[in-house]
Amino acid sequence: MPSRLEIALKPELFDAEGASICRKANDYFGFSVRSVRTINILTIDIELRKDQLEALRQEIFTNPVSQISSYDPLDIEFDWTLWIGYRPGVRDNPGSTAVEAVQDFFGLHIKSHEGIYTSKRYALKGDKLSLKEADQIARELLANDTIQQWKVFSKDDWNPNEGAGIIIPRVRLDHKPTVTSVAIDTNETLMRISDQRNLALNPNDIPTIRAYYLKEDVTAERKTLGLSAPTDIELEYISQARSDHCNHNTFKGLFRYLDLETGECREVNDLFSTCVETPTLEIKKKKPWVISVLWDNAGVGRFNDDYYYVITGETHNSPSNMEAYGGAITGIVGVYRDPMGTGKGSKLVAGMYGYCVGPRNYDGPLKPRLHPKRLLDGVIEGVRDGGNKSGIPTPYGQVWFDKGYLGKCLVFVTAIGLMPSQIKGIPCEEKTTSAGQLIVMCGGRVGKDGIHGVTAASEGFSAHTPAGHVQIGDPYTQKKMQDFLLEARDQSLIAFITDNGGGGLSSSIGESARFSNGCVVELEKVPLKYEGLDQWEIWVSESQERMTVAVEPEHLEKFMALSEKHAVESTVIGRYTDSGKLHITYNDKTCAYVDLDLLSHQFPQWEFDAEWIPPKLRGLVEPVLEEPKEASALLLAMLARPNICSKEWIVRQYDHEVQGTSVIKPLVGKARDINSDGVVIRPDLKSTQGLAMAQALLPTYSNIDTYDMVACAIDEAVRRVVAVGGNPNHVGGVDNFCWPSVGYDPNDNPDGKYKAAQLVRANWALRDLCRAYELPLLSGKDSMYVDGRLRGPFGETHKVSALPTLQFSCISVVGDITQCITMDAKVAGDLVYVVGKTRDELGASEYYEHFGYVGLNLPKVKPASFMKCYNALSRAVRKELIASCHGIYRGGLGIHLAMVAMAGELGMAVDLSGVPKTGAEKDHTILYSETPGRFIVTVDPGDRSAFESTMDNIPCACIGTVCESPDFHVNGLDGNPLIRLAVSELKKAWKETFGGLV
Amino acid sequence: MTQAQGGTKKVRVLVLAGYGLNCDHETAHAFDLAGGASHRIHINDLISGRVLLQDYDILVLGGGFSWADDHGAGVLEAVRLQHNIGEALQRFIEEGKLVLGICNGFQALVNLGFLPGFDADYKQKRVALTYNDCGNFRDDWVNLTANQQSPCVFTKGITELELPIRHGEGKFIAPAEVIKRLTDQGQIVFQYATPEGAVAGGNFPYNPNGSVEDIAGVCDPTGRIFGLMPHPEAFNHWTNHPGWTRRKVLSKRQGRRIDTELPVAMKIFKNAVEYIHE
Repeated sequence: MPSRLEIALKPELFDAEGASICRKANDYFGFSVRSVRTINILTIDIELRKDQLEALRQEIFTNPVSQISSYDPLDIEFDWTLWIGYRPGVRDNPGSTAVEAVQDFFGLHIKSHEGIYTSKRYALKGDKLSLKEADQIARELLANDTIQQWKVFSKDDWNPNEGAGIIIPRVRLDHKPTVTSVAIDTNETLMRISDQRNLALNPNDIPTIRAYYLKEDVTAERKTLGLSAPTDIELEYISQARSDHCNHNTFKGLFRYLDLETGECREVNDLFSTCVETPTLEIKKKKPWVISVLWDNAGVGRFNDDYYYVITGETHNSPSNMEAYGGAITGIVGVYRDPMGTGKGSKLVAGMYGYCVGPRNYDGPLKPRLHPKRLLDGVIEGVRDGGNKSGIPTPYGQVWFDKGYLGKCLVFVTAIGLMPSQIKGIPCEEKTTSAGQLIVMCGGRVGKDGIHGVTAASEGFSAHTPAGHVQIGDPYTQKKMQDFLLEARDQSLIAFITDNGGGGLSSSIGESARFSNGCVVELEKVPLKYEGLDQWEIWVSESQERMTVAVEPEHLEKFMALSEKHAVESTVIGRYTDSGKLHITYNDKTCAYVDLDLLSHQFPQWEFDAEWIPPKLRGLVEPVLEEPKEASALLLAMLARPNICSKEWIVRQYDHEVQGTSVIKPLVGKARDINSDGVVIRPDLKSTQGLAMAQALLPTYSNIDTYDMVACAIDEAVRRVVAVGGNPNHVGGVDNFCWPSVGYDPNDNPDGKYKAAQLVRANWALRDLCRAYELPLLSGKDSMYVDGRLRGPFGETHKVSALPTLQFSCISVVGDITQCITMDAKVAGDLVYVVGKTRDELGASEYYEHFGYVGLNLPKVKPASFMKCYNALSRAVRKELIASCHGIYRGGLGIHLAMVAMAGELGMAVDLSGVPKTGAEKDHTILYSETPGRFIVTVDPGDRSAFESTMDNIPCACIGTVCESPDFHVNGLDGNPLIRLAVSELKKAWKETFGGLV
Repeated sequence: MTQAQGGTKKVRVLVLAGYGLNCDHETAHAFDLAGGASHRIHINDLISGRVLLQDYDILVLGGGFSWADDHGAGVLEAVRLQHNIGEALQRFIEEGKLVLGICNGFQALVNLGFLPGFDADYKQKRVALTYNDCGNFRDDWVNLTANQQSPCVFTKGITELELPIRHGEGKFIAPAEVIKRLTDQGQIVFQYATPEGAVAGGNFPYNPNGSVEDIAGVCDPTGRIFGLMPHPEAFNHWTNHPGWTRRKVLSKRQGRRIDTELPVAMKIFKNAVEYIHE
């Protein structure tokens, strides 16, 4: 008989969770909820005696100082009670830890059908609240129907003895695992089955798949093993490996690029090879610090003789769009497994994030699955718990609001690791599998969760997206696993390691077996969360927190003993061979037997038509906009804009100090409240070397030209690391593309050809900038299909495509962290310099956007002159001639002068006539143009000549001074006062937009 | 005991690791900087007897998310320690050795009943650390003022200090009579303060979590068991301080070089090591 334990804070104590729900109910829906008390519920489905249950209640689950609890429903007053619990099969992390505690407490092992399930009950007071409103709070604020179930009770419905009832969300699958053969008599049959089974096979791939299975020698060999037509598990393997997510078919495709202005047509073959791989390999030859790129889970660069750093970036868009918290936590915890599985494994030292969502206060007619407000809250919390509970600092991130992301949000997560250069004399970045080594799966167990995640990410979001691909990451299980694997690595017990992410075992074993050229997997050995999974499900399940490791048989005993010490489950599930085959058995019966090289060669290249319509041809022009008369009021309005204003509430939820490595923090300045250009950590506590990191994205520029969108994002990310003291000659990059569908379809994607051309141009910019800046792409990913279909007010649906978006991340090694700088003005009397020329480049700027314009003149990167400038500036930093340094980014000079003053809480008096410029002839053009390549620098007057001679031949001019009196004074080109504001007014405007959030 | 190179005994520090704890590297580093010999030891190595608690002088329960903080921060860590090595822990205390709990470790000490440790009873839970009033996990630097009357051996010679806090459950609560006794016995070691050094008076963000009496750290009546929410181990280098770039520039203008000595926070670890030496 299961028991239900209810636990709550003592009534006299403040319930912070309840208060936050009150605030959100009001903020999101305008409901007046007077109070909310939170009740945690443990449903204990374990055979225990009464006295044992009572012992658990008192000794573990109730704090006598702060909590009350009872096995009967707690008598807490309410007008409505909302009960929220998980659906069967959804990862219940606290349920698992409760089981661990109970086992520990009594020294027992629970039986397989037993368990503990957590849920929550919220007691709401608010006599005006209707049933509909209470249900809306449950549905839209507290629960997500893809993973949770809920019940609403009114005062009258409530039975004080039964409470919310006893609900056991245990998975019961009365199913015998079955391998099914799939008919391939015609292309159409296979295509139909692919659709039915959600295989997402590309129609062009189908003849190749059929041809393979119809080959005589293949048929004959299969026959000896009792196989004929392909099995479901084989097709799942092929589908997963061929998915765009894993195979980058779009980037490796053939593009017929037509410029509609010139009529010129070019064939562009394989963007990945020409724009990513080739430039990076060229740069690697010149830069010996590039250690390992383009093949492993993450890229590797040299930190010093003893250590290498590791970096990669991922997105987790589709799952986050369905279940924001679960998607985001799974995303960050998942990307952390990439450095863990790079080389023989690295320790995680930092994470970064980037969120692109619809406007937080969106009140238009479209109905996204989750309102941007709720979606953003969930994403923030998911990455928070994933990062904080992993013990990895999350020092940098950014948010971008645009209504294009209503269709699908973007959640970028970046992971940075550190590995020793050698382990007992053997290079740590190298790894391979060899015949005879054992395949060991470590970490979590396998369930139905995450099945078809990879193929879902390769499709737009629609009502058919299987909810099964939403999961909840478990940083606790993963942290234990990471501790274990690092110890195993240092004892040389790991020959090869890779993570189980997209595609599960299918991907991790499929890819690692290519090194040894074969494997045999005994699928029945894979530990399951519950019985009843089909073989193919075990093979492709994306259940999280798992790594696949190759272990030499003679190391197995030591490896397993370490695993046990760390309370991590590890299981031998097969061995690597050199047979050339992927061979899977289940209870000795073969269920898959495929040539490993099937995937590498014989599939047709994807093809796209790309049509570029240059901006002028699209009718874009510069707006006719006279100079605003209220320059001060305008600056305040600009500072308050969502893509400019303070987002301190997000930053402070992320632990950016753990590991004790923090050097330059995300928020800097006198009051530690202004965003730093970049962050710096000291990953080796015994060294004074550092890693500088930053990211940038400028999707709005895609409205004019994706070439410049990419060029400017790269330049910004580079400038950000240079601004804090990074070395411009050692910058590594990570490119994360998120793009709407580029396949043309007259009905579904009528502008597909244009979007394809945008992708080509973006890649050209990537190639050109990387070459010019000698910036290798240490890692990168592409996520296509950033489209959604949204319901409108009349029952119609709208396809909403996101802006083509590149997030670019940079990492640089800082030789001496004590020379790092921050962006805050520091001393009154210091000279204010602008470095770099300002041009008339307001196209797609924040300024134009404020007035509803797009414009035409996009900011242009001039790589050669910019790089000269960054090197000069870097010399000035190393000579300690600079008191503060801040790049000029989104919003332009006016916004960023304000940032420098606000950070220093000092005044500033500057004259626009001094600003170095070409073609920018109006005050507001100079204030808000977003020309890249520029900085604001403050310098001690005593260092004036030394600074200016270091910046010789660089456009650089003193435009004013930092002042003691906290006034922000800008004079226009004519020398007359233009802006007169107190620094406190600037700060108030900048903080007000999201000021109520903590 | 290991012999350090000079022939003097190095103070042996055991820093717990495993099960989601995550500040073990920097905590061990801080004790090494303070002259100790620290070892990161997995909880299960203590339980299995592969490592003996009695071989150590100082036990540190560091920061992190033990058991993911599920069912209350530090709750399940306390259960596991109590039920497996409870007696060894009690002996460790009786022998006059030192115990330090930082953040999650403080939460575990409170749940073990090691703090407040009235009347040499190291089992009874009398205080709690619960959810921050702000309703969220928070990372910020705080000012602390140290109680000069406290018997705490870790904080000798410290009057005020800046440290980072990073927690979601740091609000210290206890019944009024317990607070009174803590006050009377000098067991309130650190209080959150304003930048000027006055106690925070409950004002956010100086008091970041709503702790009663602005309590940030308490010790037992002997001063040998100390728990605090802020993270001294994360201030192990002068560049950890959020204002170091400003201080560096301002010092330079005044013709001075910035102080690059070990931060005051490291005195907490030094005091502990020196106490054992004496």
